[in-house]
Amino acid sequence: MKKYLSILLALSMIIALAAGCGTRNAGNDTASPSPSASQDPGNDSNAEIVDGKFVKTRKITVEVYDRGNDGGTPPEDNFYTDFIKEGMLRDHNVEVEFVPVGRWTEVDEINNLLAAGTAPDICVTYSYPTIQTYANMGGVLDLAPYLEKYKDMLPNLWDLLKEENIYYDLDPEKGTLWALEARLFHNMRINTFVREDWLKKLGLSEPTSIEEFENMLIAFRDNAKLLLGKDANKMIPFSISFDVGWRANNLFAAFFPDNMSEREMYINGFDDRHLLFPGYKEGVRLLNKWYNERLIWQDFPLYGKGDTTEDNLMKAGYVGAFIHNWDYPYRNGDEGIHANLQKLVGPDAAYIAVDPFKNEAGKYVKFVGSTVDRKIFFPATNDEPLASLLYLDWISKFENRKFLQIGEEGVTHEVQPDGSIKLIAAPSGDPKIMNSPNNIDYTITINGLDLGDPDLTIKSLAYGYGGVDKRFIEKAFATAKNDGKTTPTVHVGEIKAEEGMGPVLSEKRDTFLIQSIVASPDKFDEVFDAGMQDYLNSGGQAIIDERAAAYDKYYK
Amino acid sequence: MKTAALNPLVKRKKNSYLKRYWTLYLLLILPVTYFIIFKYIPMTYIQIAFKKYSIVQSVWQMPWADNYGFEYFIKAFSNRDFLYALRNTVMLNVLDLIFGFPAPIILALILNELAFKRFKRITQTIAYMPHFLSWIIISGMALQLFAPTTGLINIVLERMGLNTIPFLNDPNHWIWTYVFLGIWQSVGWNTIIYLAAITAINPELYEAAAMDGAGRFRKMWHVTLPGLRPTIIVLLILSLGRILGSEFDRPYALGNYYVKDVANVISTFVYTNGIRGLQFSLTTAVGLFQSVVGVIFVLTANAIVKRFGERGIM
Repeated sequence: MKKYLSILLALSMIIALAAGCGTRNAGNDTASPSPSASQDPGNDSNAEIVDGKFVKTRKITVEVYDRGNDGGTPPEDNFYTDFIKEGMLRDHNVEVEFVPVGRWTEVDEINNLLAAGTAPDICVTYSYPTIQTYANMGGVLDLAPYLEKYKDMLPNLWDLLKEENIYYDLDPEKGTLWALEARLFHNMRINTFVREDWLKKLGLSEPTSIEEFENMLIAFRDNAKLLLGKDANKMIPFSISFDVGWRANNLFAAFFPDNMSEREMYINGFDDRHLLFPGYKEGVRLLNKWYNERLIWQDFPLYGKGDTTEDNLMKAGYVGAFIHNWDYPYRNGDEGIHANLQKLVGPDAAYIAVDPFKNEAGKYVKFVGSTVDRKIFFPATNDEPLASLLYLDWISKFENRKFLQIGEEGVTHEVQPDGSIKLIAAPSGDPKIMNSPNNIDYTITINGLDLGDPDLTIKSLAYGYGGVDKRFIEKAFATAKNDGKTTPTVHVGEIKAEEGMGPVLSEKRDTFLIQSIVASPDKFDEVFDAGMQDYLNSGGQAIIDERAAAYDKYYK
Repeated sequence: MKTAALNPLVKRKKNSYLKRYWTLYLLLILPVTYFIIFKYIPMTYIQIAFKKYSIVQSVWQMPWADNYGFEYFIKAFSNRDFLYALRNTVMLNVLDLIFGFPAPIILALILNELAFKRFKRITQTIAYMPHFLSWIIISGMALQLFAPTTGLINIVLERMGLNTIPFLNDPNHWIWTYVFLGIWQSVGWNTIIYLAAITAINPELYEAAAMDGAGRFRKMWHVTLPGLRPTIIVLLILSLGRILGSEFDRPYALGNYYVKDVANVISTFVYTNGIRGLQFSLTTAVGLFQSVVGVIFVLTANAIVKRFGERGIM
């Protein structure tokens, strides 16, 4: 008996193993189709589609950001994904499956999925260099021929993105197109926030220059007892994170020359935090001074990406001022900073947007976004390019994206007497809760509320933050646009030196900026210069040189 | 004649051996297949180190890298970050070896001397608990305890009017925090193997030593430690093989922007440049270099201990 048992066991193991091998191989086969087959937009699917509807049901997978918010719903399966799935099946006979990818680790995760050949058919990322790198390895579908062939079937996509965004990344020489650029509907980017109630308590007016801002921080620090009582030692006059370039961008912008030429901005513009712009160092020097005077959060370098410690400090009311996304404290309804602040500190406690960083020309320059947002691309493993393009078209259709952006009346929005839309935060745990503001994670071709009528849109935007007084949003909206400046859009094709350098150089930038800030003031120059030298030697200079050459080739 | 008579016998013996044990060999197929699929077949991808990586080509089709395939090795060794990572890896691992290696031996000796068995078992269990914590959790605890202004220890020190200690934000202090946490996490677990070896020591030796008038320390020195020697040596050789190897989660989780200069090790370098920066060939080259040095260390250490008359590992 024992013997038979062991034989049975051994045999079943072998069978299991063989089966495992079998499916593994099968998986490999589908995962790596020959590149030639998928590059060819030949005469495959056309005959099988009638009136934009496939005769036979097709299936595509779509990436969706997973923000892991408290009280949210699974990003791949909720009220809104059902809406999309039903619609796509009804209108195009395409079955859609969502693949969640962590919002804060998106580049890493997409890399892994691409390398494993299991990336979703429709991928979304903010990092164009990642797409370019994979395109060079043959891992990304060239969209140009498909767009040309199917243009007539994609009216909504053309309407929303327009030639400008669709062909934004077109290679001027080879004619290849690796990605579509989503439309950034409103280009506000960053604001400076301070605690309005603290200003009132100390009898200060809103700072309008760097000097006034500094004096305000000093006042916060010196009056910690008055402002925080027994928690005085927790006072953080100004908080930043490891991502100094982003979290002090408005301050740095005040140190840049006002009249930079397009060429200068482009060739020094690889780093999206403007590290290479002239004047940057003086901005960092000021942060170094503030850090050493204990005006900046002392422990900020300990916390990395995705850590919520800083948000919690803001919610608890210890942070006096910070720079962040233009509507940062007002986001996330009940779970957001504003709501928590009011709950934990009191009804007066609130952050308000201010504009203190005046440059040499007396302007409050801040870099606002251009018309582009996320980049959408199809990996080479996508064997349903038409179905995928139809998906993008469907999601760009006004009625569809409007529903996704505002949700259901009475649940996520109310219609005001003047016709504007007031978004309300669905309670935490509600199945119709939006995991991202305006469901931005599903409306991958657009970022920003669009109700068709610009007037109505702006009015509604101010209402767009459940539980936050309208005046805060209006102030933030106006401030973020004040003296906004865009970096130039330049079409010179691929810059070879940039390949694969994005994450490495960003890491270097963050590291040496932080080290410069926490250095003692007499060591500042040494640390900053060494860090910058290393940055340039490690690829930064090569990028500048190649960009300069490419610019001069096409624009001189 | 003799051979003719012998051969069938041998054959029969062989046959009956296989007949008797074939199911065991059948079972062995599973682990062997595991090693072939997950260890040996992936090794063919080592050639990425010598080739220009492409996501869509098979590893056999990728073109060779420049400089006779050694381009990425040259690149690595002219990369300042890699050299720093190499230095840090060696430094942290040597410190781990010096302080972390003897720790479980000492703990095992101490535990072995405990007379009250129940207390011994409880202590042992508590000591190996941290082994089951992931480094992410430990780093979270470290932040709560050691952070410069909000950490428990520094708050206590400050209340007592003492200077705070930069456990996490000064590179020199961070190294010791790193080593200490490493010992704390692994000491109990590593003790298990030594305690097992101690139980295998012949009790008569202790009795004989007692007869000769040896006290506790004499017995530890002359009986327990020599009894442990083969185990210690095997583990020492194995840990020498890891001198250039590096864990990823420990330095990655414990590191922060203050201490990047000493906390960046080879594994974090591979992560930033390879997985995030997509330079697969470069980082495969680094990985290969790491493995080769590791093997050299193991073989050398093995040869040395063999010369001293120990058994070694091969």
